[in-house]
Amino acid sequence: MIPTKHVVTLLLALQMVSAAYLWVVTLFGTLTAGRFADFLAVDLLSFALVAYVYTHERWGETVDRVWILTGSAGLIILLLASLYFP
Amino acid sequence: MMLYYVPSPSDAFSSTQYIFQTVYFGRFLETVHLYTAYAMIMLAFMHMMRGYFVSVQKKPREMMWIVGMVMGFVTLGFGFTGYLLPWTVVSKSATDVGIGMISALPSALSSAIIFLVVGAGGDATELLRFYDLHVVVLPAVLLVLLTVKMYMLEVHGIAEPATGPPPDARASHGLSIFPDVTLYLLGLAAMFGSAMLLVSAVFPLSLPPMYTPQLAAQFTPQPDWYFLWIYQILKIAVFEGKGLPIALSIVTLIFVLLLALPFVDRGATRRIRDRPVYVTIGWIFIAELFVLAYWGLESPGQVIATEEAALVLGGTAILVAIVSLAFYRGMSRRPSKPVGETHGALSTATGFVALLAAGSIGIGWSFNSIVRVVAMGANSLNLLQLGISLGVLVSVIPLSMFFLYRLELDRGSLKRRVRLFDVRGRTK
Repeated sequence: MIPTKHVVTLLLALQMVSAAYLWVVTLFGTLTAGRFADFLAVDLLSFALVAYVYTHERWGETVDRVWILTGSAGLIILLLASLYFP
Repeated sequence: MMLYYVPSPSDAFSSTQYIFQTVYFGRFLETVHLYTAYAMIMLAFMHMMRGYFVSVQKKPREMMWIVGMVMGFVTLGFGFTGYLLPWTVVSKSATDVGIGMISALPSALSSAIIFLVVGAGGDATELLRFYDLHVVVLPAVLLVLLTVKMYMLEVHGIAEPATGPPPDARASHGLSIFPDVTLYLLGLAAMFGSAMLLVSAVFPLSLPPMYTPQLAAQFTPQPDWYFLWIYQILKIAVFEGKGLPIALSIVTLIFVLLLALPFVDRGATRRIRDRPVYVTIGWIFIAELFVLAYWGLESPGQVIATEEAALVLGGTAILVAIVSLAFYRGMSRRPSKPVGETHGALSTATGFVALLAAGSIGIGWSFNSIVRVVAMGANSLNLLQLGISLGVLVSVIPLSMFFLYRLELDRGSLKRRVRLFDVRGRTK
């Protein structure tokens, strides 16, 4: 059983942090295209996972652990990739 | 991009260059725009072929297929009109070739198209018309068609899987367009968008040189990848000169047949297992497209000998037909698996798509290697290429056929998606 409420809370928090980060570095004029793409991808992927959890709970279907783990791994890779982008 | 781009021959390139070099994230935006357009064309093609294989065009969804095909043509129109806009030597030369082909059509038709698309004011009118088509006319047409298609989807629901339990055995979730279907689609769009962003960041575009007649004279024009198959057909020797209208007629006939598919393939069954002829034709079509495109890419500007074209294209068709029919023969000896035993539809679909691409390249590569061995002699490099390409081909094609069959049987995500679009439980 996946603690979906916790997962969604974490994803929403990640989205907020990612959006805030993009906002701040844009203000300081230090944002590069690579980093922008990376953090926007984090936002979008988090949204996709939230949408997945929300719709499946709404339809009374099981939230597949594999999808959540795969998405989370993708998010971690994207966050680590931010070290690669200048 | 519309804020900075100037659609005139004197400023088009410099304004595009300005976007690339000066506008904040301009190069990134251009890259995302191009890659997303390429992905749209590829996904539209995959969507069409998937629909063909599982017979979505059959009653009562004939009009949905036709509208979808017109949307596909509009998508190609986006590609054709957008390609010219940067006014690079690559884009302008390729567009000139395309417009030159229109001139080979019957005079009334070609005059009408050239009047509408190019106008009579030379390069300036041509560029302005292409720009207008790209940013106003085609988006408006696509929006209308999309609305019509979504309405039809609402009325008819998504097509049933080619196998599976009868419609009334499936539980309806009574899903609504909003938020259920909308969120489902937005989630997919978000995943697709994030992939496009990352690819664009890792592989940014470079702008080719500006078009000048002098530079164009040194350059062999070649269309973008999605028109390479047409380009390659037109390069066959028999279609040179007076044969050009015949080649264009063949290309037009292919499009007309695709459009009219609901009235051609009228059999009652939708099961892949029971439609060997149409499934084989579909495979031949895909293989020929990939072979022609790959060949066109590898031989820019070369006229292809008619005998060579007949050997390669005929050989591809025969080979795919033999493999496909052998597969069907093998399948007919096996009892059907009960539906629902197999799992992992997503991995099956991914494997299928990968194999589809690899198999098609394998066919083109094999024939290319055979032609090289015949024409240039059996040296070790040519023989090595031949061996590897045949190895790829022999291993990939049967696997692809197997995956296609599994795809049909899988009920995992496919079934769920059918239920998802089964708005208010309507199934016809």
